[in-house]
Amino acid sequence: MRLGPGPRHAIPVGILLLLGFAAPLVAVTAYSLATPRSFDVFRSLTLANYRTILDPANTVWLSFAWSLLLAAATVVLLAAIAYPIAYGLARLFGRWAGLVGLLFVFPLFISENVRLYGWVLFFIKGGVLDGTLRTLLGIGGPDVLFTPGMILFGMVYVYLPFMLFPLTLGLAMVPRDLIDAARDMGASRLQIWREVELPLAMPGILIGFLLTFVLGAGAVAEAKVLGGQSVIVITHDIEIAFTYAQNWPLGSALAVLLTLLIGTLVLLVLWRLDLDRILGRR
Amino acid sequence: MHRLPRRTLLQTVAAAAASGLGALPFASRRALAQRANELNILCWEGYNSAQVLDPFRQAKGATVRAESLTNDPTMINRLRAGETNVWDLINVNNPWAREVMYPEGLITPLPRAEFEPFFELMLPEFHPPYKWAMSADGNDLLGIVQRFGPYSFVVNTDAVSRATAEDVGWDLFNDPANAGKYGILESDDWNVFNIFVVAGIDPFREHSADELAKFEETARRVFGGAKLVGDIATMNQALISGEIGFHMTGGTYSASPARADGNPNIRGITPLRGPMDGKGGIAWIEITSTVANPQLSPLAQEFLKYVQDPEVAHVVAFAEGTFNPVTQMGDPRCFALFTAEELDAIQWDSLEEEMARCVEYDIVPDYDQALDLMTAAKRARG
Repeated sequence: MRLGPGPRHAIPVGILLLLGFAAPLVAVTAYSLATPRSFDVFRSLTLANYRTILDPANTVWLSFAWSLLLAAATVVLLAAIAYPIAYGLARLFGRWAGLVGLLFVFPLFISENVRLYGWVLFFIKGGVLDGTLRTLLGIGGPDVLFTPGMILFGMVYVYLPFMLFPLTLGLAMVPRDLIDAARDMGASRLQIWREVELPLAMPGILIGFLLTFVLGAGAVAEAKVLGGQSVIVITHDIEIAFTYAQNWPLGSALAVLLTLLIGTLVLLVLWRLDLDRILGRR
Repeated sequence: MHRLPRRTLLQTVAAAAASGLGALPFASRRALAQRANELNILCWEGYNSAQVLDPFRQAKGATVRAESLTNDPTMINRLRAGETNVWDLINVNNPWAREVMYPEGLITPLPRAEFEPFFELMLPEFHPPYKWAMSADGNDLLGIVQRFGPYSFVVNTDAVSRATAEDVGWDLFNDPANAGKYGILESDDWNVFNIFVVAGIDPFREHSADELAKFEETARRVFGGAKLVGDIATMNQALISGEIGFHMTGGTYSASPARADGNPNIRGITPLRGPMDGKGGIAWIEITSTVANPQLSPLAQEFLKYVQDPEVAHVVAFAEGTFNPVTQMGDPRCFALFTAEELDAIQWDSLEEEMARCVEYDIVPDYDQALDLMTAAKRARG
């Protein structure tokens, strides 16, 4: 049988996906089925790791809950914060839009950990905020460092560009003429936003939501650096399993469950929202 | 233009593919180069610094690769998982060579005649035969010793005086009035030791169900009262800023960067008494061993000799990251290289008495169970 040019040209990508995407997933899944605290991958087959995680006495569900809760809260806050900026970038800033966009990209050139430690220096007792307030007003800064709220702040800060640019792209896809037409037909601002702008910008909005949610659910540095481990997120639990506990099978089982959970949630959202309709392909 | 012969290229690709993804860079290099010119070191931070490695690289014309990790179990399990054919040297804390790696065939002994003379030059307590460098039967030399130090907890002496901290000891963490005033370093293996000690239990033996229940209660209380859990930089920053007054786990290894940076009020403390045969402190001593690599680099033993040189030992003591005493300070030629500021950074003034108040790091028989209890306690903070 001869392969057509399409499949033939897809072979390199196929191989890359097999090696870079499927192989690690197979390895992690195989490890999750190995005897606890062993390296018997592909040699042992047990559900013991999953039983340990699902044991009612195990509090690891708290870590899952914190990760999902923080990721969801990050998405909601980012949507509210990034929408006006994206609107500005797409409609108002004109020739300054490029420069403003660049300012939001700039922090990405600096390692996330360095930026988070920078915020620690800003908020710590005797740090930038506390010191400035003491000098100028004679009052100390708020005691916010090493709290769950600070973790959320860190996540919103780190993932802002990942929400902002898909939103900007989405809003840029809304034809100006349609908005003008709606206004000419007597639509109110709210109606234009709800019935014209929002549906047409939905692909960008949705991509921003999904991107930040998935990144947020896998975040760990914010909880460790800014949160002072006041909360243990699921990725931190996975890290402990692979390091101090040296229980690779348990860590793998946690990773598989996290992947399944996020994958299911994402697919559910995509299914409910009917991507084809949103993308206008009916 | 120099062209890579097709056959060599194919062989390299085949070798890389056969050895699996994880070992790819090593496998391809192995197929191309002689092991005589390469050395791979798995170590705690410090030995991976350019200050230590560059002179050796230049002198030997060798490719030296060092990977630093910050906990022993991970390094040992890398060997268990099959990386004995990757690494030449492994640098971990004292009990692992003698009690785990040598019995499991993960490391090989050193020629005693060649290496024991180095021990003669070390500080007196490390003179040969030094227990942790020897096999359990006392016949084989399993590695060399260099960095060491007491490691219990650290205070800002402006918040808690050295005398009070040494006298009250681990009960600082039991005092409800101290809730919110201390931090915990994220070294979970050491935290297991410390939670046992705070609970008044010797960590380095089998524990009864009652003792583990006491451990769990203590872990929940101590982690519940912690202002933060974080890394060394965060702990030092929080100590200096006054965010916290003291933290566990810590000692010379963690406090020395802050002291060297002009903060002599940050001080590692070894309690006067405790539940480990009356002793209150725990000390670590690094052992560096040659890995049971079927193609062990001949440079492995060369490197172990190289770091014994007084000047190199001084560089190792003050390599980037953390500053520590080294056993080679027993050699007057090495000791003379340390300035007064450097000696102060590593708390040389009290080092001997602190080491005398310490038991040496050992393996906790029920570590897995204790760690699970402690992780659950950390989760309960949220």
